[in-house]
Amino acid sequence: MSGPLSNVRIIDLTDEKSIYGAKLLADLGADVVRPEPPAGDPLRRRGPFKDEQSLWHIFFASSRRFVCIDLPEDQSLFHNLLTKADLILTGPEGFGVAETDFDALQADYPSLVVVDVRSFGREGPWKDYLAPDLVAGALGGAVATTGDADTPPLKSFGELNFMVSGAYAGIAGLAGLYAKRRNGAGQVVDVSVHESIASCLEHVLMFYWYHEQMMREPVLPRRGSLHWSNAYVVFQALDGGVMVTPTPDFDRQLAWLIEEGVQEDLIDPKYDLPEHLVERIMKTMDILKRWVATKEAEPLFLEAQARHSPYGWVIPLAQMAENEQLRARDWFTQVATKTESVKGPGAPYHFSQTPWALGDYGEAHPISDVMEDIGWEVAS
Amino acid sequence: MSRPLEGLRVLDFTHVLAGPFATRCLADMGADVVKINSVKRAIGANDPLHPYYLMWNRNKRALGLDMTHDEDRRLCQSLCEQADVVIDNFSVGVLDRWGIGFEKVKESNPGVIYIQMSGMGEGGPWSNFVTYAPTIHALAGLTYLTSVSGREDIGIGFSYNDHQAGLHAAVAILAALEARRDTGAGQHIDVSQFEVGVNFAGPSLMDLFANGRAAEPTANELPYDDACPHNCYQGLPKGEGTLGERWIAIACMTDSQWQALKSVMGHPEWAETADFDSVAGRLAARAEIDAGVAGFTANHEVYDLMARCQAAGVPAGVVQDGEDLNTRDPQLALYQFLHKIEDVSPLLGQTWADRLPIRFSQTPCNIYERTKAVGEDNVSVLGDWLGMDEAEVRKAESEGRLQ
Repeated sequence: MSGPLSNVRIIDLTDEKSIYGAKLLADLGADVVRPEPPAGDPLRRRGPFKDEQSLWHIFFASSRRFVCIDLPEDQSLFHNLLTKADLILTGPEGFGVAETDFDALQADYPSLVVVDVRSFGREGPWKDYLAPDLVAGALGGAVATTGDADTPPLKSFGELNFMVSGAYAGIAGLAGLYAKRRNGAGQVVDVSVHESIASCLEHVLMFYWYHEQMMREPVLPRRGSLHWSNAYVVFQALDGGVMVTPTPDFDRQLAWLIEEGVQEDLIDPKYDLPEHLVERIMKTMDILKRWVATKEAEPLFLEAQARHSPYGWVIPLAQMAENEQLRARDWFTQVATKTESVKGPGAPYHFSQTPWALGDYGEAHPISDVMEDIGWEVAS
Repeated sequence: MSRPLEGLRVLDFTHVLAGPFATRCLADMGADVVKINSVKRAIGANDPLHPYYLMWNRNKRALGLDMTHDEDRRLCQSLCEQADVVIDNFSVGVLDRWGIGFEKVKESNPGVIYIQMSGMGEGGPWSNFVTYAPTIHALAGLTYLTSVSGREDIGIGFSYNDHQAGLHAAVAILAALEARRDTGAGQHIDVSQFEVGVNFAGPSLMDLFANGRAAEPTANELPYDDACPHNCYQGLPKGEGTLGERWIAIACMTDSQWQALKSVMGHPEWAETADFDSVAGRLAARAEIDAGVAGFTANHEVYDLMARCQAAGVPAGVVQDGEDLNTRDPQLALYQFLHKIEDVSPLLGQTWADRLPIRFSQTPCNIYERTKAVGEDNVSVLGDWLGMDEAEVRKAESEGRLQ
């Protein structure tokens, strides 16, 4: 491996709430061992599948060494493995977590960094609440903010909430490692999924705290695609949606509408006055909606961007494979599996010296067989 | 013990949300983040008086620089020599024009970690495209997928990808610092916010490539896993209109959780059919199940119902809004997650902060300094980083520079 973390040893005992964090570090070249029971990692049963293989698992458990550990029989081997790591990432439903006292382990091996990602932290009346992604997103504030007046509050697609807690888990591990590199001391680092979600709600807390200053309401109702600023919204073109905005330069948008002959009364000088700004936005959006309905989505998006307007074509997933920007950057990446290679997402960041790379997706091996290969000198 | 990133010097040229969120995270963990701003640029989301700016720029020191002044540009180059990390999310080329592009900075500071967070990354036909989070959501498939089939697009109701681009940039910076420990060398990191966003549909993209199946929006259902009921249901309202609605999310991930939910509901007749014992049976009658559960929840106060469900082992959670997070949530209250910043702003009065959701046992991060005005920390920053004395800084300010 050539990534920036190639000298870091990690044990990955994450569950669905933090596995994305272990992926981030593994794809950056850390040597990440992910143990699983003889019956297999339960997350190998998550869809979608290709033949018998979980694509979910291939994505989230990328670049790992899978080792099979039979607890309690292999308890001492497991314990020894844990002590050889720089960093251990854990979640309550992760392998061996219920059987291990990580606070005690860390106290015995003070250079260890242990990251403990739980739904609600360690204390409090909700600490044992069950919170799969939908429930976590509901309590954390993300669900209330998504949807429209005629739909229920909506969960975001896939695993987006747990990708936030996962990203924080990765940061927690690396920051703990950074501190350890300076002073030699590891520590236990807790991450709350609930707080992670609540910290990434853009305007939601701002509205509650500063609504008087902003002359707005403390809570916005569900309102479809309309952004809190009222200046970004998805309108339907002839063949799909386009995210449309007159920002950052209303005059530039107006000039375009004039070219198209659809400016209506927007050229009235009253709209230049600050007290008519809200009216100007409303009027502009109203015209844009009717105008967009006469256009095709992709050409309109490209024309807007040629004019430096930040429109966005609402691209269906089916068309992502053909995306010209991703193709030009040669972005999609193959993962070798035991039967074939599978194409999927590429790097979320590009390092000039220590590139991100996906490791092969191998099978789980008995821990006793792979110790020599790992070179971690784990005695049984 | 001091915070984990104490002593790390970050020169922050970011604006709006994605970039500032990356440096906010580093600043919360003790990094010395110097936010560069100028009075000329301080409008809208770049105005330190705007609540949006307040949200993302706490714990940073503020340095004013007017890059139209040769002297300020020269100072900026000197600051780059002292930085561990230089970060920007300007359009490609802006920092090069200021004489602080990566190649230039690297000459005098070979250990610099220089990270650029553009919308589309360097290169490719879209590299100069202008993007905000709603643009990225649309282009990355997130808007299309977070929706209800058969109606106009909805998408995520907040700038999710900006936060995530920031968190991913923080991961990249910390990883590059680890690499620098081994090699002594810095490097350039190119973050495409678009690619960060596309990455989130990972399993669905693999399904598309491997099986030719393109994911479609699924509202509150799970695209690949069998779970039913799995939706948001209305409880007793608290007032009028959409804002007066009360909703509870209920997610039975197993058959036993469905049995537990039946107990909570008092075993209503509609739920007692043996067909519903298996998730396949429930999925086949999803509309009936949803209607039945909604009929039950409609008569209940949602926080009470959540407690009853959870006590019975049913995953359930109130759909909380910003007011609930501040006033009803006992977990956030316990950890004082949402709190007033002690140092009252001379211009704005009281301001607030949410805490870093990471809790370090040995290097706690409990310092929350208020967001600073343009140039408010000129003296301390230029003293600490460049050894300038106060008189020198004040003189420059009196000449119309450093602002």
